[in-house]
Amino acid sequence: MLTTPLPGADARARQRASRERWVGLAMVAPALAVAGVVVVGGIGMSVVQSVGLLPLVGEARFTLDAYVANGDELLTGLALSLGIATASTLLSSVIGLAAAVIITQGRITGRLVAGLSAVTIPVPHLVGAAAVGLLVADSGLLPRWFGVEPGAWPDLVGGPWWVAVVLEYTWKESAFIALVVAGVLATRVARYDETAALLGASRARRLRHIVIPLATPAVIVSAIIVFVYTFGSYEVAWLLGRPYPEPLPVLAFRLFNSITLTSRPEAAAVAVITTVVSLLAVAVGMALLRRTPLWR
Amino acid sequence: MAMMIPYGQRITPDDRTTTSRGLMRPRPGGRALRVAVATVLALWFALPLVPLLLWAVANRWSFPAPLPTAWGVDGLVTALEQGAAPAFGRSLLLGLAVAAIATPLGALAARALTRGIVPAPRLVSALLLAPLALPAFVAVMGLTVLLLRARVPATLAVLLLLVAAALPYTVYTMRVAYAAHDLAYEEEARTLGASRLAVLVRVHLPLVAPGLARAAFLAFLVGWSDYVVTVLVGGGSLVTLPLLVGSYAAGVGNEAIVAVLSLGAIVPPLVLLLALGRFGRRYPTARFTGPTPSRSPKGSP
Amino acid sequence: MHSTAPRRGAVAAALALGLVAPLAACSAEPASSADAQQYASWEEVLEAADGQTVKLWMYGGDEQGNAYVNDVLVPAAAELGVTLEQVPIADTPDALNRILSEVQAGETDGEVDLVWVNGNNFGTGKEAGAWECGWTDLLPNMALTDPDDPLLLNDFGTPVDGCEAPWHKAQFTFVYNSDTVTDVPTTLDELLEWAKANPGRFTYPAPPDFTGSVFVREVLYSVHGGPDGVPLAYSEEDFAELTPALFETLQELEPYLWREGTTYPQNSNELNELYANGEVDFTMTYGPATLTALVEDGTYPAGTKVLTLEEGTVGNASFLGLASTSGSKAGAMVVANLALSVEQQVAKAQPDVWGQFTVLDLDQLSDEQRAQFEALPESPVVPSYDVLSENANPELASAWVTPIDEEWRRLVLTQ
Repeated sequence: MLTTPLPGADARARQRASRERWVGLAMVAPALAVAGVVVVGGIGMSVVQSVGLLPLVGEARFTLDAYVANGDELLTGLALSLGIATASTLLSSVIGLAAAVIITQGRITGRLVAGLSAVTIPVPHLVGAAAVGLLVADSGLLPRWFGVEPGAWPDLVGGPWWVAVVLEYTWKESAFIALVVAGVLATRVARYDETAALLGASRARRLRHIVIPLATPAVIVSAIIVFVYTFGSYEVAWLLGRPYPEPLPVLAFRLFNSITLTSRPEAAAVAVITTVVSLLAVAVGMALLRRTPLWR
Repeated sequence: MAMMIPYGQRITPDDRTTTSRGLMRPRPGGRALRVAVATVLALWFALPLVPLLLWAVANRWSFPAPLPTAWGVDGLVTALEQGAAPAFGRSLLLGLAVAAIATPLGALAARALTRGIVPAPRLVSALLLAPLALPAFVAVMGLTVLLLRARVPATLAVLLLLVAAALPYTVYTMRVAYAAHDLAYEEEARTLGASRLAVLVRVHLPLVAPGLARAAFLAFLVGWSDYVVTVLVGGGSLVTLPLLVGSYAAGVGNEAIVAVLSLGAIVPPLVLLLALGRFGRRYPTARFTGPTPSRSPKGSP
Repeated sequence: MHSTAPRRGAVAAALALGLVAPLAACSAEPASSADAQQYASWEEVLEAADGQTVKLWMYGGDEQGNAYVNDVLVPAAAELGVTLEQVPIADTPDALNRILSEVQAGETDGEVDLVWVNGNNFGTGKEAGAWECGWTDLLPNMALTDPDDPLLLNDFGTPVDGCEAPWHKAQFTFVYNSDTVTDVPTTLDELLEWAKANPGRFTYPAPPDFTGSVFVREVLYSVHGGPDGVPLAYSEEDFAELTPALFETLQELEPYLWREGTTYPQNSNELNELYANGEVDFTMTYGPATLTALVEDGTYPAGTKVLTLEEGTVGNASFLGLASTSGSKAGAMVVANLALSVEQQVAKAQPDVWGQFTVLDLDQLSDEQRAQFEALPESPVVPSYDVLSENANPELASAWVTPIDEEWRRLVLTQ
């Protein structure tokens, strides 16, 4: 009796809250169902296949063989994928941030960069890979224009440093980061920047103390997306890469499409490892994000 | 914070506002630096598209000629003969279908999440963003067997995976839109006797329209540019433009066709993007100059 | 895995999937039971095929091949009441992979009906129950082929068993630029010597690429004095005895290859690009038919010629496989039969159409039909099939292919 002095009002409020929760649940349910089926189903079935419970031929039997079958290639692939993703993410963050600053400064130059980066956004990665190949391959446009013999041109496509792959990712993703960051800067920077300028802050100091801190959360969020995408993407590395070593997605695809019937669980094992690393990367990124002062 | 619509808003300030701010006026040294950086960036973004443009009009371009040795539209003619037009149509339909499903789903979820009426909101948000962290090939390899076993038709299966891939974008975009959206307008309209439907159609949707357009565009891109899901889950039932690009890129001497197909794959989203830019720019000024938050009965939030 | 008998494997797969009936096991039980799509006569097939839609999955990077199918074969199929659709793919394993997924899921009306296939894809598919078997006897036009033609009876050592209908013949062919190669090799051994004398001007695609894989097997023949030195059937003992010499030769060759052998073209297309751009002087192909057009349109140098080796090269046939998960089997049979007809084989052999060599036996044809083949124009680049296939070598059994490819990755690529 002590707890409810006004039982009627309280019950009504609780009833209303509970009805609202049902409404809320109903509103997120369709999206949640689709995302849930794909995420939980995708990871779950990959795990099931990787431990030998869904073989193409032979008996279903729990085994971790698939995880050790390609031990060396898995490790080199992991290192390579991490390298490609890190390089692409860092470069595209720097270029994207620079582009965003130029874009938000306006004028002709800003609009030119805004327009050209916007053209890059809708280019499918597969097309981007074809384009970068036509540009920087041994027989591409640049060696043709500079009159360099194929032998003298550095091995950008299919070379040991995966330059063309990183270039393609950086090209596409710097435009993406520029778009996201410019969107944030446009809404926030103008006011702070003007105030600081009125207070006598120099251009360099305004960039360092206002623009960059304001942009940091957006850069981190988009960098997480870029990292995870480039880490798990297949077409570009396949089209512009070399046969050995292979990034994880390419390794997974070769095993998945291999005509050896036992290699499917191995492909699934690579998929599981790729997912785990992606999720770890997201966790690290989110931790970084929480440490930025302007994140709420 | 009345105009928190980052996506719909024109990003570059126009010349008049920048030049009118005396203190912000550029100095000569800074100007040279800015122009230099901007030029490098412009080259950076534009250069990879140059070989596509040249190859698309090259009938013959043997190495090491710096420019096509014979100009012409053979590439276009062959691409059309080889079914580029129906593939284009299929890509368009796929992109539109993904947008048509993922946008309302994302908007509904985003509205519920911003209103704070969803149980376990952190978990729900994380799940809705999770497809971003899941490499496409993992979803494909895992789900192909499951979907086949469940007798889901190939086209539907592709749609399911692509909608899931698009959801993080639509949910996020719409959360931004709803965060800036003032519920007071809707409540005011209800108080004035408007029906729920009327409020939805005449108040709610117009207010979030730029966000919706933005979300739909991103979702369209997911369907439009996909390769891995369409080829593996679609099982050949959907020959889209990227699939044609992929199969021609795997053959020798096809550069002109690949270039034409690639340009074909860039143009429609670009048109949409331009339309979106105009729409986003015009829309807020046309509609949003009406009631200001301070005039709403409950005051500004 | 290779030691598992196909039958046991397939049955176990069926059990594992909780399925009972018509999966797999075509090698053990051709014409599996409990299937509504079994036909006793060609009339029944024709009747059932009317109105069916057939999807033909095939490598789509070859413009001429696509054009032949879409402009010649599709309209002819439509006259027989079958809607034929081509599904262009980047690589044949994509198709096999799809069928295997469907088999794994117990699908009976899958997305794949016909596949242009041979070799390892066929062999592995057969082992896993991907193909419908024992149906080619029904095709009236099979009578136009030679019933004893070894290329049509065994596909890379795997008995065909009516699981696929013949489509073309092909000859593995080396191609060179006669403007830059003046001392033309006449044997494979001389070719390798040439490569060492001209560093950076030769390479081959990395297996498991189909073409690169064939090249490695050609070298295997060569280091053992020809096909007689290597038993066609696979055994682990033979592998252990015969392959060290092969990999030694390839390791020795490596520093003289393109980019000092630090990497290889990922597939035959990349090698072709290198050749087209004059970065190497040799390329190789299992489809010499396309050479004429590539020289004509300037993609390949004008001095492009076919290299005929004294010891001959590997020849094979390629086929149309019928997916066991197809829901339009009758329609697929009608298309396979149509593709074997004299009209279609002649049309396909025209150098400006596709230039694929026929699988028909000219001795089984009427004079008038034979005349159509004899009237085919000669290509300035590609010699006739008779010349190319002189001393043709048999393909090794497909069981050889994967172990060699994997060992190559281990010993040559990653060293």
